[in-house]
Amino acid sequence: MRGTVRIAVAAIALSVFPATVRAQTAVETAKSAFGEDVHAAAGLTCAACHVSSRGAGALPIPSRTAIAPLCATCHSDAAYMRRFDPQVRVDQFLQYQTSVHGKRMAADDERVATCTDCHGVHGIKRVNDARSPVAPLNVTTTCGRCHGDPARMKLFGREATPPGDWSASVHAAALIKRGDTSAPTCIACHGSHGATPPGVTSVANVCAQCHVREAELFRVSPKKEIFDALGEPECLTCHRNHRIEPPQDTWVGVQEGSVCVECHDESGDSGMTIRRVREELDGLSAALSNADAVLTRAERAGMLVDDGRTAFQEAREYRVQSRVLVHAFALAPLLKVTTEGTASARRAQQVGEAAMLELQTRRRGLALATLVILAFLGTLWLKIRRLPPPSSQQPTQRAM
Amino acid sequence: MASRLRPWLEERLPLADLLETLRHKTVPHHRYSGWYYFGGMTLFLFAMQVGTGALLLLYYRPSATEAYESVQFIVTRVPFGWLVRSIHAWSANLMVACAFAHLFSVLFLHAYRRPRELTWVSGVLLLLLTLAFGFTGYLLPWNEVSFFATRVGTDIAATVPVIGHGLVRFLRGGNDVSGATLTRLFGFHVAVLPAIATALVGLHLLLVQRHGMSVPPSVERNRAADPGVMRTIPFLPHFLLRDLFAWTAVLAMLAALSTFYPWELGTKADPFAAAPAGIRPEWYFLWAFEALKHMPSTLAGIDGEFVAVAAMGIMGIGAILLPFMARNTPGGRRLVVWTGIVMLLFMSAMTALALAGNTP
Repeated sequence: MRGTVRIAVAAIALSVFPATVRAQTAVETAKSAFGEDVHAAAGLTCAACHVSSRGAGALPIPSRTAIAPLCATCHSDAAYMRRFDPQVRVDQFLQYQTSVHGKRMAADDERVATCTDCHGVHGIKRVNDARSPVAPLNVTTTCGRCHGDPARMKLFGREATPPGDWSASVHAAALIKRGDTSAPTCIACHGSHGATPPGVTSVANVCAQCHVREAELFRVSPKKEIFDALGEPECLTCHRNHRIEPPQDTWVGVQEGSVCVECHDESGDSGMTIRRVREELDGLSAALSNADAVLTRAERAGMLVDDGRTAFQEAREYRVQSRVLVHAFALAPLLKVTTEGTASARRAQQVGEAAMLELQTRRRGLALATLVILAFLGTLWLKIRRLPPPSSQQPTQRAM
Repeated sequence: MASRLRPWLEERLPLADLLETLRHKTVPHHRYSGWYYFGGMTLFLFAMQVGTGALLLLYYRPSATEAYESVQFIVTRVPFGWLVRSIHAWSANLMVACAFAHLFSVLFLHAYRRPRELTWVSGVLLLLLTLAFGFTGYLLPWNEVSFFATRVGTDIAATVPVIGHGLVRFLRGGNDVSGATLTRLFGFHVAVLPAIATALVGLHLLLVQRHGMSVPPSVERNRAADPGVMRTIPFLPHFLLRDLFAWTAVLAMLAALSTFYPWELGTKADPFAAAPAGIRPEWYFLWAFEALKHMPSTLAGIDGEFVAVAAMGIMGIGAILLPFMARNTPGGRRLVVWTGIVMLLFMSAMTALALAGNTP
């Protein structure tokens, strides 16, 4: 009997031991990560989040639905947060409650994101710390962990966003290749704490945060009413979402492959206007290309064509403006800009051509000068040849 | 007019004596005498520098805000400004090349021997002055490459013990390269260095006239065996016409280089911008620049850069004092030749490495 009890005790001890060790290891890992946590740096301890009614030593883990309210106890308290950063925002929890995540969580759906899913748990960093999962370069990966997972999204009746979509966009290129941390990521359009998909009529407002002029032109254009009536998502109708590629002049037109052709054909006034817009854009680009070619030739030949480069830069700015003016969906304002742009490009080309002409003149001048110098050298050579041969005298040492 | 002017001048200047002396002056003529002309070519290029430099001064403005724009104005708006600036830049480079060729030819032909020690010393000092002209003139267009190369170049002076940092501040007119550096180097380039150079050129020419052209020991030996083998040519007109031929050829080369490869202006210097990749000094400083790069950080516990700078300093002093150290015996002369060859090979190899961009 005693033996049986011993075996039973030993068996229980053996089964409990690994669980104890695992718990111990998790605590150690958490402690280690917390050493680099922004909260630890602010002087907070484990007990600040692991609030226990059972006294010191116990570390209860907050339930997922309790995490956001727990964080909000400090982060929504302006008086408390001001002690660490006078300009810190304290509306995150309010925003979270309006988000899809927050609403579902409030309805006890623990599958959606809460604070710790994006910011981390024990090693939380400031958002502007490059190691933070919500730092500009990391946030798309953080969102993509859930929103790029088709199985997880299916649970909510949504389609996953392919992870490569944003990465192939012009916005990703600005952030990753050019290091522009102001380039939009997921949160710039969807919001962060108040994350929600923008509605069809509010997309232009989202894009307008950066693309101010384009949005202004679009709002007063005839397209605004038409798109609203058709329920088209404004900017996204032509530019798509997530995988937003650099716009091309070839998008404008009624030929196959253009964007306009999805709604328009060659017939009618609209078809003619689209063709004219494309001709104007192509005309300005061709003028720029010709100017650049002759300026580059002149520069390679060593000529200074700074005036030409200034005019060329001016023409490029007109091209940028003309591409923006496409959003007015009207010919007249575009014509004004493309005409001025083409004039600047021609001025640049003229400077380049004048430099090439000057180069020709210089070379002709050099050819003439070389002939004169060669004739002089020839004369000298003949003169030297006709001089009496060297004598066998002692050289003069003290000439002066 | 001329018939009245000549007696007037002769009464006041010793022209007749000078012409008489030149008429009787002869120059040795042997298989190595072609090397003599490098001295004349260097002098001709120096004169070109003075002429074109004076023309550039009419429009150049030595300040950080106006220097680049004034050079731009010279090459784009001033008639033949592009030609004058290009000739000035190309002529400077050819002058350094000719000066080096002249120095090594004098070294290998042992023309530094008694009684021409001072001619050699003044020549080496003139070469160093030529390099100083290059260094001070490099920054004057105030473009990106020259700005950062000057920063690197002046940094090297900091390795000199005790006075290093003071020297850098003196060269820069402050802690970093700025408008004060430009004004300072401009002052050196157009006033201090030309004054010293003119005096030294005068002394050098005077000494050359005083002692005549040196005859290499091998030619002297042949002359001892057969006195008929040593030939001479009159300075006037034989030597002078040959000199004129060389100068005209250099002029033709300068015109061609300036027209087909106009000296670039580059982009304006921005002191707050990061240094662009591939910054390096002018070709004649490349060997020293490359040697410094290959030095370990410490050598027997001493700062590696300091060791390199000290070695170059010793080399410079050694070059100046060469005639007083080298023995005029076959063994002594062989040692000088081999030292010269090693130096030439080292400088060429370092320059080639720098140009190939193989620096680790």
